[in-house]
Amino acid sequence: MKTLAIFVAVAWMGGYARAGDSGAYDWNLPKGFPKPRIPADNPMTAAKVELGRYLFYDTRMSVNGKSSCAPCHKQELAFTDGRAVGLGATGESHSRSAMSLVNIAYSVALTWSNPNMSQLEEQALVPMFGEHPVELGLREGDDFLSRLHSQAKYGELFGQAFPGEADPFTISNITKAVACFERSIISGRSPYDRYHYAGDDNAVTDAAKRGEILFFSQNIACFRCHGGFNFSDAGVSERSVRREIEFHNTGLYNPYPAPNVGIYEFTHDPADFGKFKTPTLRNVAVTGPYMHDGSVRTLEDVLDHYAAGGRAHDNPNKDPLVHGFPLSKEERADMVAFLQSLTDEELLNDKRFSNPWPSK
Amino acid sequence: MKSRHVLVGVLLAVAVAVAQTPQQQSGPSSFTVSGELSTPLKLSTDDMAKMPREKASVPDQDGTNIEYEGVPLREIMKRAGAPLGNQLRGKALASYILVKAHDGYQVVFTLGELDSEFANEKILVADKRDGKPLFGYQGPFRLVVVNDHAGARSVRMLESIEFVRLQK
Repeated sequence: MKTLAIFVAVAWMGGYARAGDSGAYDWNLPKGFPKPRIPADNPMTAAKVELGRYLFYDTRMSVNGKSSCAPCHKQELAFTDGRAVGLGATGESHSRSAMSLVNIAYSVALTWSNPNMSQLEEQALVPMFGEHPVELGLREGDDFLSRLHSQAKYGELFGQAFPGEADPFTISNITKAVACFERSIISGRSPYDRYHYAGDDNAVTDAAKRGEILFFSQNIACFRCHGGFNFSDAGVSERSVRREIEFHNTGLYNPYPAPNVGIYEFTHDPADFGKFKTPTLRNVAVTGPYMHDGSVRTLEDVLDHYAAGGRAHDNPNKDPLVHGFPLSKEERADMVAFLQSLTDEELLNDKRFSNPWPSK
Repeated sequence: MKSRHVLVGVLLAVAVAVAQTPQQQSGPSSFTVSGELSTPLKLSTDDMAKMPREKASVPDQDGTNIEYEGVPLREIMKRAGAPLGNQLRGKALASYILVKAHDGYQVVFTLGELDSEFANEKILVADKRDGKPLFGYQGPFRLVVVNDHAGARSVRMLESIEFVRLQK
């Protein structure tokens, strides 16, 4: 009997390995989650995800060997950094807050305010090579590809991720692998998910249940922007019909100080001044400070901001949805409890998304 | 005697705790069908279980298919005595159905949307989602307007349905 069990286990593992080798990727999606939409020229494979993870955490990916993607996107903070604005490898501050990478596979537009940026492969080039501000500080033509070449582990990882290529060490392949890793970061195992999809009525507190009803109520209506399984109106999946993404001016400033002018930077339409993307609320309890510039410190402050109808009431572009509403202290606490129920502790500690390099 | 005091104390503590816990603001356990109708109704989950039921699979905004189950609004309005079928003509066409949610949200439909000789739209008063009773902000009753691409008329936390005639 024992022999049979071992045989079955070995056969199963063999099947699993073959599935990985053949490029099939098991999303292992939580209930209620559709399959993400993936670019045709970069299908998901376990090998690319694994290479992407090594690159994501590799300080060879920065100009001075001091940084990588990870300092701005820390797993324990749902891939944000806890700072108001990001900090580059050379110490230069970004003008905006580092966005969470959780469920980024479902995001129809990337970054806070670029309606034209929809592919992670393209977006990865911005932190790698961007100069305004300097993030990782890489330059095409410098020796960073040879730095990767010199690491024996990469010979194996690049070979498995891009089999048959004479020289897989290319910038294009690096961005493809990093994008695959980022897309693999799916969060859907929070107490909220257990309450809604696993029938566990005790997974969330009564306060969180009350807070959820407030969240979806007509007066408060957070769900109008933070809707759907990912609590964002910037979502897309394999099955969804393509639709125009909405950006919102939440009445933070009038006028919004440069360079954070929202999608106006790209559309040059005055009506777009101060409009930004709606971020996901999954894991929002660990992604503060909030808003595009980290100018709102806590979840309580965020709720107060919206209850007050924003803080720049005279901004002509302020979204009518930011109209203000009465909110008692008890109701605010209930809503915070609901938002806390969206924290996916498993994700924050999942070894599949952790730093694979041995600690120095 | 001492144990009786303890029992009273425990009961009092429980009563105070219950009184201090804010009520969850989900929808009521039954909804009313009222207005200028011959048979106003008050329907609970048990009542709904005895009526003709249908299912509807609808994609949510992310493309995920959700299966709702409940009673067609047409059937509910018919039982309440709304003018449907061969009665839906003349002044009866100048009437509307006002649907209200527990949080004050309101939408309207016309009888022409429901009737099989007119638009014949599939509109359910649902009490189950993917085989389970609706709860929390969704329930216990909600509308599902299958052919509405935007979901804004699929009222959650249904509280009342009112029939209003504009011409008598």
